[in-house]
Amino acid sequence: MLEQQLVNGLTLGVIYALIAVGYTMVYGVIELINFAHGEVYMIGAFLCVTFITALGLPFYVSMLLAMGCAAGIGVTIDRVAYKPLRASPRLAVLITAIGMSIFLQNLAMIIWGSRPVPFPQDAVPAYLKETAFTFSGVHLTWLQLFIFAVTFSMMLLLYVIINHTRMGTAMRALAQNRTCSQLMGVNVNRVIAFTFALGSSMGAVAGVLVAVYYNTLSPTMGYVAGVKAFAAAVLGGIGSVPGAMLGGIVLGIAEALGAGYVSSLYRDGVAYAVLIAVIIFRPSGLLGKALVEKA
Amino acid sequence: MTAPAPLLKVDQVYKRFGGLMALTDVSFDIMPGRIQGLIGPNGAGKTTIFNCITGVYKPTQGEILLTPPPASGTTAESIRINGKKPDKVVALGIARTFQNIRLFSSLTVLDNVRIGRHCRTSSNLVGAMLRLGSQRREEATIIDASMKWLKFVGLERHALAPASSLSYGDQRRLEIARALATEPALLLLDEPAAGMNPRETADLDQLIHAILDEGVTVLLIEHDMKLVMKICEQLIVLDHGERIAYGPPAAIKDDPKVVEAYLGRGAAHA
Amino acid sequence: MPKKFLLPLFLAVALVFPLLPFANDYVLHVVTLVMVYMVLAMGLNVLPGFCGLLDLGFVGFYGVGAYTAGLLTVHYGVSLWIMVPAAVLNGALWGVVLGAPTLRLSGDYFAIVTFGFAELVVLFLTNEIWLTRGPLGLPGIDPVSVDLSFLNPAWIYEFEGERPYFYLGLAMLALVYVTMRRLEDSRLGRAWLAIREDQLAAASCGVNIYAYKIIAFGISAGVGALAGCFFARWTLFLSPDMFKFWESFLILCMVVLGGLGNIHGAMVGAAILIALGEVLRVVLPQLGLPNEARFLVYGLIMIFIMRFKPKGFFPKIAAAGEANPLIKRLRAQLEQHGGTSR
Ligand SMILES: Nc1ncnc2c1ncn2[C@@H]1O[C@H](COP(=O)(O)OP(=O)(O)OP(=O)(O)O)[C@@H](O)[C@H]1O
Ligand SMILES: [Mg+2]
Repeated sequence: MLEQQLVNGLTLGVIYALIAVGYTMVYGVIELINFAHGEVYMIGAFLCVTFITALGLPFYVSMLLAMGCAAGIGVTIDRVAYKPLRASPRLAVLITAIGMSIFLQNLAMIIWGSRPVPFPQDAVPAYLKETAFTFSGVHLTWLQLFIFAVTFSMMLLLYVIINHTRMGTAMRALAQNRTCSQLMGVNVNRVIAFTFALGSSMGAVAGVLVAVYYNTLSPTMGYVAGVKAFAAAVLGGIGSVPGAMLGGIVLGIAEALGAGYVSSLYRDGVAYAVLIAVIIFRPSGLLGKALVEKA
Repeated sequence: MTAPAPLLKVDQVYKRFGGLMALTDVSFDIMPGRIQGLIGPNGAGKTTIFNCITGVYKPTQGEILLTPPPASGTTAESIRINGKKPDKVVALGIARTFQNIRLFSSLTVLDNVRIGRHCRTSSNLVGAMLRLGSQRREEATIIDASMKWLKFVGLERHALAPASSLSYGDQRRLEIARALATEPALLLLDEPAAGMNPRETADLDQLIHAILDEGVTVLLIEHDMKLVMKICEQLIVLDHGERIAYGPPAAIKDDPKVVEAYLGRGAAHA
Repeated sequence: MPKKFLLPLFLAVALVFPLLPFANDYVLHVVTLVMVYMVLAMGLNVLPGFCGLLDLGFVGFYGVGAYTAGLLTVHYGVSLWIMVPAAVLNGALWGVVLGAPTLRLSGDYFAIVTFGFAELVVLFLTNEIWLTRGPLGLPGIDPVSVDLSFLNPAWIYEFEGERPYFYLGLAMLALVYVTMRRLEDSRLGRAWLAIREDQLAAASCGVNIYAYKIIAFGISAGVGALAGCFFARWTLFLSPDMFKFWESFLILCMVVLGGLGNIHGAMVGAAILIALGEVLRVVLPQLGLPNEARFLVYGLIMIFIMRFKPKGFFPKIAAAGEANPLIKRLRAQLEQHGGTSR
């Protein structure tokens, strides 16, 4: 079933892309691999579930609320952990990012328990689970369509923000040259905060979509998804937003095919292998600029 | 008798950064045993030349040839150094300092200079693990040589202090000591007087002459015109990546092109 | 007390320790575990501490060493004299193979590649059941036997109980410690520190950055594999779970706690975190929390140290070369001439 696998891979791929833009945007403006991003994705999913079960809010509202909270969490992480270290060596910030990731993961485990929990099914609009189309044997559920639609509109939104707003211009300026932008009157900290907010809210959406798609969520889900999304970002060319989208889709499909045709045992291994191979053979990724050490 | 061969020959060097031509057709010779100056307004491309010579950048086009002083009984041979890596270039005998000081700041003053000895020493992993006799002897000579250079720049008292604790002027001197420890034939100094007070600048003048007396040729980038005019025998003037003048200070001073580059169009005619 | 008595005293205590009445098997086991982690921490320290490179997959080399030793023993009954070098070389080799293409790139990529490598190691160990027996683990590893029968047929010593492992671990610790101290205070170690401080300046002093990073990675990986080798022959059972990312994180946390680049600090960090782990193992269940929650504490430690004490909790007990007689002599001379040596 090549076609079905392609469709499933594509679904997964667009979700990776959604997470990957969070990595890539933050890397673009502060050159930091924000390891905690995978955890924001996971917390986004848990928050959505909590809003549904504890507050009884409808699915779509909970999802929007989770996005908002995740944005706040992303900004807070930056404020508390990364911002004080802007002048420190790269290594210090990278270590902090790892520490933050582990901290959040375990915090989630304490709050929500370490076992995987199902997504509250009765909250999910029923039609989402029905098959929308069957096209020469390939099934496409409404949920998959919903995922495509949400991802597509988020990406469109992102494109408009980056290319057609003052904030987006400032983000691109910052990615080019920090000191210069500062001199030209860009409020660096505000732009960085905005970047974290934007990336985190997109991560949260991805978290919710995955939780619904697989009908499960757990505190460790951010770990694997984070690595994969990061691999997608690297594959596309870290720092490049279109690259992250492309990388996510390519990785999702590669993974689905790898699991189908090579060995399902190494399903997660595909991402790692892609990651290592891209870094070794084409470190600039598909669409990015080279990142060779400036001696 | 023929004139001595130039120690360094920069021949029609171009360097492009994306759309920016940082160097265009720059040529000059560095004669051994002299102090020469490289001047020009901000952004002229002076540091870029240093970076091309020392292998930090690869020139887009052009040749850079080094003719190290021949060992006795051999004839001088030129070596193409454009495209060689910085660690190879320093081993061939070109050392440098940096415009914005780049010390190993959390290490001691002595360690900074000891690392300068790296390219003239050879003990390796096995030697270090087994503490072989040869390694121990080499360590002793490294310390002796390093202390010699620290004395030379007047920092021996601070040998075991952290490099970051030195005053600004002393940090510049330490960078010079570290460069000298690599036993260069040619020393490139990038704005050594920047940020120094008049007293320190006067000391620097003496120090540069002392370096020359050690048999090291000096190429100096400097904005302090009084210093440059006083100590350089030959000047290369860059503007917008192009060489606009080349000659002894007296001739350079009155060159209308140079006056224009520094003071702006119109000043030369006034 | 003069510093020079410190080391002999420490050694004397260590040698007598297992004979003391309170040193039961549990105590000896924990102390031996601390020694294993001290070795690991010192091995990891070479990269982030000396060279400024973040290695997120250190546990991968630990795993490679452990499984190399385990498999060689189970399948081939290879003697200790061949097994140890084989495991160490295998680890170091993987370090070099992985480092060669990646160490030219920026440090972030290095961190990621090491992470991916360690994950692949776990996947390999889990899935290649024909070789490793997969998630069930690899039992039946023989305890250490020191075979000196080529000197005298009667000299074969089979390890039993915790005590001999304590001494073997101590020997390993001493070996790695001495090696690390010597490397740190050598031309090689200074080149590493130069790379950490400023790569361009290091290259301008003639340091071949790429080559020295590869050497560092090889050594770090080799030490990791050595510890793994000991671990395999001590616990007599291996499973892929033992080599997950958490271990890398824990070891990194030890190094960070003790101060990046500080050999003594790394050892103190190892002791503290293992002890803390033992305490939390008792305390956490009483609070109704899973055992993994201890990583919450480790994560916080990392964040706080980087923010408030980037040089670690244990400021350099003795800076590189302080113990070097040549430097001591120099210091004495400088003091005689009234120099400052802050
Ligand atoms: N790595 C680089 N990438 C892009 N442009 C560069 C790079 N290095 C230098 N330039 C540009 O090349 C030009 C020359 O710079 P350079 O640093 O050589 O000037 P300089 O003569 O040393 O000036 P200053 O007196 O200010 O030190 C400048 O316009 C600078 O912006
Ligand atoms: Mg300059």
